[in-house]
Amino acid sequence: MTGVLHLWKYGLNAGLLGGLITVLLSLIGMVEAFSKRQIVSDVLSMDQALLGAAVVFVGYLAAKRTTSTYPLWVVINTLTCGFITAGMLMLLLVIGDLINLRAVFINASPVLYELLSFGQGFETAPLLFVAYPLCSLFAGILYLLPGALRKMLIVSLTCVIGAGVLQDLIRPTLAAWESLADVAEWIFSANGLTEQGAAAIFLVIAAITLFWSFKGEAVETGYRRLPPAGQKTMQWMGFAVLLVVLFILPQVLGLFLSEVLTIVGLYVLLGLGLNIVVGYAGLLDLGYVAFFAIGAYVTAILTSPELGFFNLSFWSALPFAILMGITAGVLLGIPVLKMRGDYLAIATMGFGEIIRILVLSDFLRPWLGGAQGIGRIPKASIAGFEFGTPQTIYYLILAGCFLAIFISLRLKDSRMGRAWKAMREDEDVAQAMGINLVATKLLAFGTGAGFSALSGAIFATKLTSVYPHSMNVMISINIVCVIIVGGMGSIPGVIVGAAALVGLPELLREFAEYRLLVYGLALVVMMLVRPEGLWPEPVRRREFHEEVEELPENNGAPSAA
Amino acid sequence: MPILTARRTTKRFGGLVAVDELDVEIKEKTIHSIIGPNGAGKTTFFNCVTGSYRPEEGEILLNSHSLVGLLPDQIVRLGIARTYQNIRLFPVLTAMENVLVGLHCHLRASYFGIVAGLPSTRKEEKEATEEARRLLRFVNLTGKGDLMAKNLPYGEQRRLEIARALATKPKLLLLDEPTAGMNPSETQTMMDFIRHLRDELGITILLIEHQMRVVMGISETVTVLDYGKKIAEGTPEEIKKNTKVIEAYLGKGSAAETMGVAA
Repeated sequence: MTGVLHLWKYGLNAGLLGGLITVLLSLIGMVEAFSKRQIVSDVLSMDQALLGAAVVFVGYLAAKRTTSTYPLWVVINTLTCGFITAGMLMLLLVIGDLINLRAVFINASPVLYELLSFGQGFETAPLLFVAYPLCSLFAGILYLLPGALRKMLIVSLTCVIGAGVLQDLIRPTLAAWESLADVAEWIFSANGLTEQGAAAIFLVIAAITLFWSFKGEAVETGYRRLPPAGQKTMQWMGFAVLLVVLFILPQVLGLFLSEVLTIVGLYVLLGLGLNIVVGYAGLLDLGYVAFFAIGAYVTAILTSPELGFFNLSFWSALPFAILMGITAGVLLGIPVLKMRGDYLAIATMGFGEIIRILVLSDFLRPWLGGAQGIGRIPKASIAGFEFGTPQTIYYLILAGCFLAIFISLRLKDSRMGRAWKAMREDEDVAQAMGINLVATKLLAFGTGAGFSALSGAIFATKLTSVYPHSMNVMISINIVCVIIVGGMGSIPGVIVGAAALVGLPELLREFAEYRLLVYGLALVVMMLVRPEGLWPEPVRRREFHEEVEELPENNGAPSAA
Repeated sequence: MPILTARRTTKRFGGLVAVDELDVEIKEKTIHSIIGPNGAGKTTFFNCVTGSYRPEEGEILLNSHSLVGLLPDQIVRLGIARTYQNIRLFPVLTAMENVLVGLHCHLRASYFGIVAGLPSTRKEEKEATEEARRLLRFVNLTGKGDLMAKNLPYGEQRRLEIARALATKPKLLLLDEPTAGMNPSETQTMMDFIRHLRDELGITILLIEHQMRVVMGISETVTVLDYGKKIAEGTPEEIKKNTKVIEAYLGKGSAAETMGVAA
């Protein structure tokens, strides 16, 4: 045992980290804010889930550092980890009892102490030393379990917590369907899941994950064995099902959620455009919102009776908006042709600001409306059907997204897409292989700007007004984050990224004050744990995990000829 | 009839004259080597020919077409392709995509053709894939098309780089130290391969090389550079005996000794 004694420090380190995280979560007020929501009614509140998840996380870290070679040490270390975390929270409670921490930490309220000590102050506080080590031990056991079981537990527990957190989303959706209203009633109480609901979700998801771990491979090989024609039919059927689901979605989800969907959709459209510029061509553009603004303002100028210049309909203004966007993209491209990397990012960022400030200026006020923006932009309509409410605007955005996805897919594996990717990898060599850098770069800028302008035009008719302050640099940065988190160069990645970074915060509005904190944290964690993004391109996944999959390749390789 | 002619070509970097009034003629369908000590200006000359650098003085002609002032992508279209001293593939593209990029300048698909999926575009794309597969087979990389370039072993990366250069359908191929870092048997295979390129495809080869065994083994003409100047030119046999060359490589006074030993 002497050789392995050094392992104790992994438990200690993880415990200290856990203590820091839990104390931090308490002092910034997240614990108190989260306590109002129940995950499982009267059993588990959201703050307990949050603290529990933090402890499980550090416990898992301790176990992973110790490695499964020493199972006994995993148990010891996870228990130590839990004890130390609990000890540090206890310390917070004691200090809070002796000194008034509120002078510095505004959130260090009696309510917080009560929550942390399970309700009864110092009487129940020793429970910390039972609950936390147990949570941590659970993480250790999770680590030691075989892969399939571990996956099942993690996925189903995450689903239960997810269902609890998103109760406001799921319950009304279910309740909207006559037949499912009873199910909703059974699963959800007024605040949080019911006990039987939580158990049911856990069991169903667990069964599905287990089935997939054991039979998934068989299903996949079965699919691969199908003749190509059969595979094609399967793909088309899948696509058709997806279409139907997307089509009925707003009717099912109701007004508020459709509104969220439209915002996500606009970001998907923007993300797809920037994905071509940044993801394919590798040109980091931080002024991307400029083209969104141009699309929105051109639509506004051409349609709004408030300015009274043209009074066109949305559909006749749309081509002009897109064309102006593309032209602006190409014009911006020309001065920055020779720039790379950071220099390009700064120059484009400046361009974004120029557009915003121009729009805001008094000098252009008669034409662009200045700070008050432009109002009374007409709704789009086709043959009497008006895209007025979020539930109908959704179809407009959906069509835009399909168009953008279609164009992206076609370009991706074409001569043009390869030229972009080659340029991203090595500009000089790309040129030495016969790629005209000027044309290739300008096409990338123009295509991206076109998508962005389309998004801006739809945005203008959605809100029926445009304001300069909705065109700030944060939007550009948000879009860059969407494609980085989703996975650079990946089309499904853009959709997942937009849903995660734009959709989720809209759904969790009541925690809006922690939005940027969580956002930043999520980005840091993403870059450390999954730098290739949530849904990367297959090639990119290989780039980041090559050591795992390279081995089988080298065996049968002939020696250099 | 020389395929490539450089006349009094000069390239300076500040006060340093990297290539100094260089006159070279490359005859069609020969294997021509450029040798010289480190820093003699060999790669700089390559960069002048391919358009990465613009020489300050003199001219470079392909057949009788001037190359000075053209961009690298225009020069590739005229039929000059190159490889690099330290391999420069597109690392995270697959081997297949690397070769397809080389075919870029021979594809005609327009932006709208691609988006609309015109039959002519699809046909061209299919033919390009076929051609790329054929080139991969030619450099003995059959079945490796889907691997990322950076995951290929060193020797295969070298060959992939040549396949990418061949995809541009060059008349003149510039190889910058193609056998660097190879063991004797790999070097021998590469030499056979270069000879094969010339004999089978009729491509003129201009070669920078440090391994004397390669230079003497395959070249018809050897040009020796030192401090940017041409100090000797001739067949391998002539170069071996040239006192200036021995001095440049081994230092003054060595020539006499070496000659003495040889005698």
